[in-house]
Amino acid sequence: MSAPDLSVSAKALVRTVGTTRILDEIYLDVPRGQAVCILGPSGSGKSSLLRALTLLDPISDGFITIDGQPFGREVSRSGAVRHQSQAEIDRLRARIGFVFQSFGLWPHVDVRTNISLAQSVVLKRDETEIQTKTNQLMEQLSITQLAEKHPGQLSGGQKQRVAVARALALDPALMLFDEPTSALDPELVGDVLSLIVDLKMKQMTTLTVTHEMSFARRLADRILFLDHGRIIADGTPEDVIDASENPRVRSFFAKL
Amino acid sequence: MGFDLSYVLAALPDVGAASLTNAWMAVVICVCALGMGIAFTVVRSLKYAVVNAVISVMISFVRGTPILIQIFLCYYVLPIVGLDLNPTTAGILAISLNSSVFITENFRGALAALDDGPIEAATALALKPAMIWYLIILPQLLRRTLPMLVSEGTVILKNTALLSVITVAEGFRVAQQIGGATFRPFEPLIAVALCFLVLNLVLVGLGTALERRLILKGA
Amino acid sequence: MQLDPTVITDSWRLFVEGTFVTLQLSAMAFVFGLALAIPVAVLSMSRYTALKAVAIVYLAIIRGVPFIALVFIVHYGTAALGARTPAFWSGTIALTLFASAYFSEVIRSTISALPPSQWDSGRVVGMSRWQTLRHIIVPQSVGPMIPPGVNVTIMMIKESSVISAITVGELTYQGLVVQGNTFAPFEVFITIALLYWAITLAFSQLAQWAERRIGRSQKSERPMGGIADRYLTLSTRRPAA
Repeated sequence: MSAPDLSVSAKALVRTVGTTRILDEIYLDVPRGQAVCILGPSGSGKSSLLRALTLLDPISDGFITIDGQPFGREVSRSGAVRHQSQAEIDRLRARIGFVFQSFGLWPHVDVRTNISLAQSVVLKRDETEIQTKTNQLMEQLSITQLAEKHPGQLSGGQKQRVAVARALALDPALMLFDEPTSALDPELVGDVLSLIVDLKMKQMTTLTVTHEMSFARRLADRILFLDHGRIIADGTPEDVIDASENPRVRSFFAKL
Repeated sequence: MGFDLSYVLAALPDVGAASLTNAWMAVVICVCALGMGIAFTVVRSLKYAVVNAVISVMISFVRGTPILIQIFLCYYVLPIVGLDLNPTTAGILAISLNSSVFITENFRGALAALDDGPIEAATALALKPAMIWYLIILPQLLRRTLPMLVSEGTVILKNTALLSVITVAEGFRVAQQIGGATFRPFEPLIAVALCFLVLNLVLVGLGTALERRLILKGA
Repeated sequence: MQLDPTVITDSWRLFVEGTFVTLQLSAMAFVFGLALAIPVAVLSMSRYTALKAVAIVYLAIIRGVPFIALVFIVHYGTAALGARTPAFWSGTIALTLFASAYFSEVIRSTISALPPSQWDSGRVVGMSRWQTLRHIIVPQSVGPMIPPGVNVTIMMIKESSVISAITVGELTYQGLVVQGNTFAPFEVFITIALLYWAITLAFSQLAQWAERRIGRSQKSERPMGGIADRYLTLSTRRPAA
């Protein structure tokens, strides 16, 4: 697969904290439009992988590309490794949409500003473009009536939709979801699922870290199983959840 | 005139020795302030309206006026109402009172965070209030407020330097005297500043060691 | 014990002048101290150990040395290094250094108290550190900084009384002058104390007003009424039995 067809790719990704390898040589190629779910026991590095892909957490080794472009570290033609400048990294970060587990909304501004702030500050769009985009997204996610409210006044489900809108506002090449259901009441899991499936329908590449099995089964084109920082299973939901050859993987799903 | 390190070193012995006065005064004040702070806290918990009102006014006064003025009040004004104290005692009294107020206010906040459970259990077991304070509340309280108490200790240490103004022979006053005698006022001041920094380090070090011991015992 | 009010009324001009000088010292130390506190706070939060160390040493010295020593060191130090500073400015400089140390701690602790997710959520949409600071962090920090900031200001006003020791004509000094003339320590020092008390009370009121307007009050009311409250609460409000 040629590079521009990949929304995100990782080669030999390593993240070491102290003496522990939180991410141990991760290789990953995600084609455009694919919906990936990342599963695994707690502490296996699922959230770390997601955070490392945006360089929110620094990596110790390895190479990442976003939408075909090197991100963070790149190899020049002569073979030398170059660290990108902070400005380059910031620019590429805007190509990634990240939805935090606890949403990370900005409490001191209203919903509309939460969605529009990055558009003006990071992308420097002009005012009319920003308003059009913001209104469109609020419409899409059924939160138009919340425009003037502050995050403190919103329910969990509402906050999540604002967080998704905020991430989509920058027209990212891919969307990353970190445990989207864990901060919500169980009955809202279905809503979150249809939200991400909706994005999938619109050809948006998504990577979702989750522990909800049924969620992963219905959403994912592909499942990655992480254990101790390594991908030990990679396939369709049927391959990984139902019929994995790996005993670790089998015992994990058997317990659920 | 310039700065001459040799004068700093020359002043250090006398200044250092005098700084030990600051040290022992600080220790005495810490003990008194803690004792008074605990006493105030227990009395306030009895919730006699008049008593608490008087204490509140006193707290506001002590927190709202400079410590130097409070020292002057103890030294110059108390004799008028009959209590004639020597400078050292007056100074110790003033600083103790000052710190006890901050301590009891800090205790007030920390008390609110304590668990009801152990106290209710103790009451159910018919323990007397004094015992409840002594066995259950104070140990927890002191453990939790230790960092604050250590920082109040550093404030107490610094405040002892002010007693130079009412003629107590401590480190800062000696530094001034040496400066006056040698016509080089700057270097002895550096010497006494160093002494205070060292004493401060010792105090903070003891505090940290104590904190670590208490954490091991399970606060 | 005879109370002689003429002691006060005869010298009221000196007390007014003293109050004025105290407020002058405090106002200047406030402005310059706050300005100096910002770079110190930035250094203390730096990722580079060397820069952080500079801030830590600065703070340790300013906060570890008694203020009276600091005042004298600034006064005689500047003289020793060639520039005789008038006592008023020595006092201002010393008070400024004092204020900068404590203000920088207020800034540092308030910003550190913000959850790291706020930094993350700014960075992750591509904002630079500076943009995140400006749009996300600083607006959320200003409110919470007011109560501790006012506390530092009140501390500073009280500390200014020490500057009397280098014969600057602020309130405490005037009090000592009048006391020296009239030998009436009771009237004089009580008056001085009441004047300081009035100033600090005014500032506390200002703080409460500002907090109500800008920040949110974070006091959590402890539900009253249990047996334990007999010990753990110190206010005389009757429990809702």
